[in-house]
Amino acid sequence: MNLDFSQIVPYIPFMLEGIWVTLKFVFFAIILGSILGTLLALFKIGSIKPLRWFADAYTSVFRGTPLILQLMIIYYSIPQLTGYDISPFLSAILAFGLNSSAYISEIIRAGIQAVDKGQMEAAQALGVPYRAMMKDIILPQALKNILPALMNEFITLTKESAIVSTIGYLDLMRRAQVVGADLFRNFEPLLFVGVIYWCLVMGLTMIGRVFERRLKQSD
Amino acid sequence: MIKVQNLYKKFGTNEVLSDISTTVAKGEVVSIIGPSGSGKSTFLRCLNLLEVPTSGSIEINGKNLTASKKTIHKIRQQIGMVFQHFHLFPHLTVLENLTYAPMKAKGVKKTEAEMKARLLLERVGLSEKEKAYPNSLSGGQKQRVAIARALAMEPELMLFDEPTSALDPEMVKEVLDVMKDLAKSGMTMVVVTHEMGFAREVADRVLFLDHGVLVEEGQPVEFFSNPKTERAKDFLDKVL
Repeated sequence: MNLDFSQIVPYIPFMLEGIWVTLKFVFFAIILGSILGTLLALFKIGSIKPLRWFADAYTSVFRGTPLILQLMIIYYSIPQLTGYDISPFLSAILAFGLNSSAYISEIIRAGIQAVDKGQMEAAQALGVPYRAMMKDIILPQALKNILPALMNEFITLTKESAIVSTIGYLDLMRRAQVVGADLFRNFEPLLFVGVIYWCLVMGLTMIGRVFERRLKQSD
Repeated sequence: MIKVQNLYKKFGTNEVLSDISTTVAKGEVVSIIGPSGSGKSTFLRCLNLLEVPTSGSIEINGKNLTASKKTIHKIRQQIGMVFQHFHLFPHLTVLENLTYAPMKAKGVKKTEAEMKARLLLERVGLSEKEKAYPNSLSGGQKQRVAIARALAMEPELMLFDEPTSALDPEMVKEVLDVMKDLAKSGMTMVVVTHEMGFAREVADRVLFLDHGVLVEEGQPVEFFSNPKTERAKDFLDKVL
């Protein structure tokens, strides 16, 4: 066994900084993915056919191709096509947000359709407009059912975020590689950020549990 | 108040309602009875457009329902509906169930909506349950809340879709009592029911549906003691 964690000590602040860098774009990607995913889900269950087709086609494309490919296409082709020099940070948010919204839209669609049809009828019979009904009656109940699946998606997104290291974004993963190259020792820095990723996911899991408990109030 | 003319409803090729015409006057209590699968519930659901008729016209207070799909939620605000399976909003408290629609659909202020909601809860005998969630209530209590929720919109017309069919027998009476009380107050009511006692005692008129056809209608006393049609006789023999 040739393990020596003392050598990575000087690099620890550098690697810890990666937590913030990773969390920053994961946070925005989750927000973008959730908003877009909700919209797509509403398109899918709505009665306007072109919107339904669009949402289905969108999901098919973003679920049907590798995330790393989508990331590369965004990062390399936007400068080529438009001349706008897109930053790795923005590329990462876009790629992960757009990709995640495809999955999230399917989760939310299933959740909405699992809400008892009588809930919609009761709201309609009371004369509640469609938007308010969706926002106040249907989505909150759907959210309760889909929270575990949604947390799963967020956890996957957090872990898969390591892919952005391929476009040179200095996230946790990339920092481990940099340190590894500097020291000619890879195992220790990789193990170190591995533990950090695990802690991040545990944190997320706990947040999810708190939410679940709160939504269970009415039971 | 309600005027139905030549109403047809088809699900695919299956004709569920066939050429139904009738009227309901203001303040009238009408019971719809008939064997299961006769189209009673479908007929009732057509009256607030939860089911869209295949053809024919329905007028509520002079407004043609089928011609006003865009403004249907405005018309629905005047029509309360009570379902067999209650359909209370499970994530809202009893009080919130009552105040939600008035606030959202009619823009009533919260304090005013709550005040009215409390009066209604008192009327259905559930004042102490205002902070409870629906899942903690019994079936009878749920249905009384559902009636109060519909009344919170101050409707001119109430539709009841088998309101006691999902209840344990000992809870039927508490719901029927609330409905009787409502009928006495002059509310226009259309009630799909299997409770022949209620139909006989409270209704001003009984409609008998079979296989989607309005076979017979008349005053309860006459209908129950002396049905004119063979099919009505047959049905009454089975249920009474």
